[in-house]
Amino acid sequence: MSRREGEIQPNPIPSAQETLSLLELNNRIRDALSEALPDTYWVRAEMSDVRVNASSGHCYLEFVEKNPQSGQLVAKVRGSIWARIFRMLKPYFEMETGQAFASGLNVLVKVSVEFHELYGLSLNVLDIDPTYTIGDMARKRMEIIRQLQEEGVFTLNKELPFPILPRRIAIITSPTAAGYEDFMNQLTHNKKNYPFYSHLFPALMQGDKTEASVIAALDRIYKHQALFDVVVIIRGGGATSDLSSFDSYLLATNCAQFPLPIITGIGHERDDTIVDMVAHTRLKTPTAVAEFLISRMDEAASAVDELRQAVITLSSDQLMRQRNYLRLLTARFPSLVMNRVERIRSDLRSLAARFPAQISSALSQREAGLGTIALRLRNATSTGLAERGRFLQLTEQFIKMASPEYILRRGYSLTMKEGKIVKHAAELREGDELTTRFMDGEVKSIVQVKKTN
Amino acid sequence: MAKKEESYNEAIKRLRAIVAEIEQGDLDVDLLADRVKEATRLIQLCKDKLYKVDEEVKKVLEELSDE
Repeated sequence: MSRREGEIQPNPIPSAQETLSLLELNNRIRDALSEALPDTYWVRAEMSDVRVNASSGHCYLEFVEKNPQSGQLVAKVRGSIWARIFRMLKPYFEMETGQAFASGLNVLVKVSVEFHELYGLSLNVLDIDPTYTIGDMARKRMEIIRQLQEEGVFTLNKELPFPILPRRIAIITSPTAAGYEDFMNQLTHNKKNYPFYSHLFPALMQGDKTEASVIAALDRIYKHQALFDVVVIIRGGGATSDLSSFDSYLLATNCAQFPLPIITGIGHERDDTIVDMVAHTRLKTPTAVAEFLISRMDEAASAVDELRQAVITLSSDQLMRQRNYLRLLTARFPSLVMNRVERIRSDLRSLAARFPAQISSALSQREAGLGTIALRLRNATSTGLAERGRFLQLTEQFIKMASPEYILRRGYSLTMKEGKIVKHAAELREGDELTTRFMDGEVKSIVQVKKTN
Repeated sequence: MAKKEESYNEAIKRLRAIVAEIEQGDLDVDLLADRVKEATRLIQLCKDKLYKVDEEVKKVLEELSDE
């Protein structure tokens, strides 16, 4: 603006005493600021351009704020964390958040506002609240997860059928990482000697380029997908938790849509990264991934063994059953026969049981018949007996009358020679000794004269 | 190789069918002998796949160029 003659000068150029040196002004600014902002303040901001002075251990950075819609910078101020504080603040923050203390993170920091005559305005960080960062990361992760879900890709990899024999393995990792060696050791020295076939697709597993590098490796595997059963993404313990790459939307959506099942073992203890979430199977360490693959082979092997056992058991059972059936038939044959016989017998018995009525009537008929026969027999017998009795009496009489005693009593005598009865005179010779028997005794005599008629 | 895995899966499927058939328990003894014979063959096939190195696959993956 130019000045014109005659105009009123509201601000006349002051005298030298009234002017300020720059230092004086800056001192006034400093005093004014410390008067106006004397306390410490909790400030939300994004960190950018984080760097640590190696010799002093001080940390310098920029705090920025962006328009959430456009992403344009709307505020910016320098910050510093003195070594004395940074030594404790950094590990605390990283342990709590699982994130490296690095640019791009939103933080909640306690600051004092400093103004230095030479270096200008800066925020001196005194403390940090990691829970804010955790919440912020969680919110960002939730956004990415929601986006993946809305696009319908979140569960795609999980839905792939897992191969029964996961033997052909595409490995994404850094070839120099300890995790790779652990994985290969575990896999090749499996106890059962399952053959595994692997091919390494090298990628950077930490730092800014991780996302692009892993995606490039996936693209290479994609070209040869028919040669592989599974993809494993592994990472050794390595540097602390530089996991933000595995929470990236781009990497996650690549993994989710990959046509082979992906198994992760990116070695961290905190909650799953988004890549872990979309992977078919999430495991903690490379060793665990190898164990998992071996265990799947074990499952396949034991399924075969079970089937084998079932065939053996069932078929021998079946044979045993047939054999037992035969044995049973053999054993039961006699008793079957006995049963049959018994049945016939009992049929007969029941037939017989029905008989008595008929039989008893028949019997009583017969009995009556027998009665008359008996009567007749008795009559006939007694008549017969009486006749016999009379006959006997007669006979007895005859016998009595014919007996020598009877004859002798009537006056006859018996002549005997040498114990024999003499019936004819011719039997005797003169001089023979005779015995004559009488009823009451006997006499002996000698034949003197013989005269025959 | 997809073909080979297929044949493994088919072998397992066939084995399960055989087991189910025997389990029914009314298989004729001659038929039973046939099934056991077939099962033995299939089990051997599976075991080969599980434990034997497939030189062909090994060679292909060893010679695979990265790009």
